[in-house]
Amino acid sequence: MNVVSVFSEVAVVVSLLLTVGAVTVVGPDRIRAELPVLRTRLRQNARPLLLLVAVLAVNSVVRDVGVGLSWLIGSNITKTIYAVEGAFVASLQSLAPAWLTLYLGFVYIYGYVFLLVFPLVLTLLLGTTRYLRETAFAYAVNYGIGLLCYILFVAYGPRNFAPDMVEPLLFDTIPRFQLVTAQVNANTNVFPSLHTSLSVTVALMAYRLRAEYPRWLPVATFLAGSVILSTMVLGIHWATDVVFGVLLGAISVYVATRPRFHSEGDPP
Amino acid sequence: MYGGSQSPRTLSRRAVLGSAAAGLAATSGCMQRMRTLAGNKEASAVSLSIKTRPADEDPGAMRIARELESWFDTAGVDTTVQPVTAAELYRQTLLSHEFDAFVGRYPYRQTTADSLYSLVHSSFAAERGWQNPFGFADLEVDELLTAQRRQSGDRRAETLASLQEQLANVCPFLVIGTPDSIRAANTTRFSGWTGAFGESPLRLLTLGRVDPAATTLRLVTTDSRVTRNLNPLMAPFRRRGRITSLVYDSLARQYHRGVVPLAGVDWEWDTTGRGGAVLRVTLRDDLQWHDGEALTAADVAFTYRMLADTSLGAFEQAVPPTRYRGRASVVTEATVVDERTVELACPDCSRAVAERALTVPLLAEHVWRERANEADIGGVGIGAATTEALVTDAIPPVGSGPLQFDTASDRESLRLTVFDDHFSTAMDPADSVAASTLDPPFDAVEIGFVGSDATAVELVESGDADATAVGVGSDLVRSIGRADDLTLLLDQSGSFYFLGFNVRSAPLSNSRFRNLLSHLVDRQHLVDTVFDGYATPAVSPLSGTGLVPETVQWVPGGTVTPFLGSNGELDTGQVRSAFREAGYRYDSGTLLQS
Repeated sequence: MNVVSVFSEVAVVVSLLLTVGAVTVVGPDRIRAELPVLRTRLRQNARPLLLLVAVLAVNSVVRDVGVGLSWLIGSNITKTIYAVEGAFVASLQSLAPAWLTLYLGFVYIYGYVFLLVFPLVLTLLLGTTRYLRETAFAYAVNYGIGLLCYILFVAYGPRNFAPDMVEPLLFDTIPRFQLVTAQVNANTNVFPSLHTSLSVTVALMAYRLRAEYPRWLPVATFLAGSVILSTMVLGIHWATDVVFGVLLGAISVYVATRPRFHSEGDPP
Repeated sequence: MYGGSQSPRTLSRRAVLGSAAAGLAATSGCMQRMRTLAGNKEASAVSLSIKTRPADEDPGAMRIARELESWFDTAGVDTTVQPVTAAELYRQTLLSHEFDAFVGRYPYRQTTADSLYSLVHSSFAAERGWQNPFGFADLEVDELLTAQRRQSGDRRAETLASLQEQLANVCPFLVIGTPDSIRAANTTRFSGWTGAFGESPLRLLTLGRVDPAATTLRLVTTDSRVTRNLNPLMAPFRRRGRITSLVYDSLARQYHRGVVPLAGVDWEWDTTGRGGAVLRVTLRDDLQWHDGEALTAADVAFTYRMLADTSLGAFEQAVPPTRYRGRASVVTEATVVDERTVELACPDCSRAVAERALTVPLLAEHVWRERANEADIGGVGIGAATTEALVTDAIPPVGSGPLQFDTASDRESLRLTVFDDHFSTAMDPADSVAASTLDPPFDAVEIGFVGSDATAVELVESGDADATAVGVGSDLVRSIGRADDLTLLLDQSGSFYFLGFNVRSAPLSNSRFRNLLSHLVDRQHLVDTVFDGYATPAVSPLSGTGLVPETVQWVPGGTVTPFLGSNGELDTGQVRSAFREAGYRYDSGTLLQS
């Protein structure tokens, strides 16, 4: 077991989920119809897809440098958050039975990755580039504002601050996932919860796509809810991070769907 | 000048002057009142911030801090806990002195009586680093510290007893206890783990090989600092120096309360000279630095000059390193006698105290000399009051120890290889002078970083690592015990947990207040709840050395500073009357100071 094997495990599971998702949400007929024009679709959507790649690249660099910078200029707000919400996460955690914890552990990693990738597949298969552009832009806003907050604020999650009340459940139940999360993020980056904001983004976009993909809305909503719950039950995020995550998710969709960001001649 | 003039204008001017004078007189009266009133400021609430490392890095420290927070809160002291990552925590506390209180661990593997000298002697209060980070100054303590350096036998024991009692009372820091280091080791590739992480770092090199194919010892750590900095002089990046001491040899090492030879093959204690006692050290033959240069007496002399002042006298004010100051301060002068002999002048201390000076890491002159220059950023001088020696990550490090640097990747891993030219590995086993001849059962040591102790143990269990390099939380003891290939390593550590106070400012400048805080801490409760019993409560920093008098030994239910309550619960009435007696007031549960 090492980082590579855990990453491959995630890749395999998520590919499986994507396949199942595509078959049930999009339907085999539609997929068959879309396959011949996939190349064209990719070309049409090249710009938003490149934007996403660029955002992710910047994200990984900034997160590396950002931690040091954050200690230099950021303010440590852990104790403020704790003063505001106290033992909320601890009580939530004590209510969760073991099977729920395990489920949430898998949702936190597999479910979340699937939730982020699947909308790209869905919007790619549409005749219009509009929704993919919106989704990509909304993701970019999430990362942009999120990273800025990570630099401005130093905050440790509940498991790090209150080990007497909150268990590090993700790492206790599925320790190998720590290898993945450590690669992706530093433990001082908890405010706001990007897991939450991106899940909210996907759920709101699913609402916009409900006419095209009626089955996606309930699935996305349920998964998004699970991811949000998992961040707290697993002891990773404070409720405060989640509240600001919801706000960030909503703002990003609002911004990304403003008409001014659409070039003329877009189909409605 | 105004006398002859009767003009209305002059009259008016007089009137103005007169009223101005009256006004001034009135103002001065008012000023006096204001100043008196200002002296009678309203009482303010007492608050305290405790900094410590987050649970991922040190579960023990964070939980201690949280318990302290709840006790202090109960006593009416508005207390908050602030989690800070290790390198930053020790930068803020040891270098910038920006803290009220912090929960930390004693930074060396062993404590000796003379360890206290640098920890609390007032002459170090202005320095930055592990030497007196508290800003503590107490004339009586200073005197006792100086006296014990010269004394021996019963007289020294008496002095040390008074010293420990005085420290327990005035409390520059509050000792909590010494934890057992809990580690997991996998027995499928290497054997002989018991004691491998004990007092002597060299023991790690004496493991047995089980799997003939195993050529690399793979360790996992939850402390990433070692992957990005290997400078033995930089306190914020050092834990207890186990890894750096395998890279940087010393003349001798502390072992079982004594000092045994390492790079120094022998030494004599000469008190016949006029300038006071001298430690004359003879080096082994053919010592080498990792880069192939010869290690000579000049390097040794240079080391002690560097440890006294990393600017080597070039700065107006000395820039001492942030570690090893206590030991190094014993040596007032280091003189090269010949290529292999160096004389260390130790005028004001006993032989036992002087020998501890032999345990500092040796620094290569050809590498460190240029680090005596002013520190800069990217080649640009910024007028920093510090030297490159206290800023550099020292990667790659040039030491003379049994392990040499190979590669490092920030926040990921560090790889060291066995240094074949080290005297212990190259030496003829028949050589009777060898303290121990080493034949490490591996060619390299790899230390990988993971974010949590549970993951570290999982990696050892799955066989992806051979052992955890650092201690893990006591909650993992059971899962280590249950796993087939894992062996549980328990080592008594000499490094105690403490709550350090910044005595430079109120309310912690008041020793009565600090003493009262020490009555709010139930050490047994901490050992039971935080460490599940895998720790020993202690009052004195010298606990475990055999030098602790009965008066400051920790006994259940009562110590010099008994807990004002029972079973971890404070008796609020008792606490409040204790604080009131000390001149504090309460306003609806909040402690006030005038």
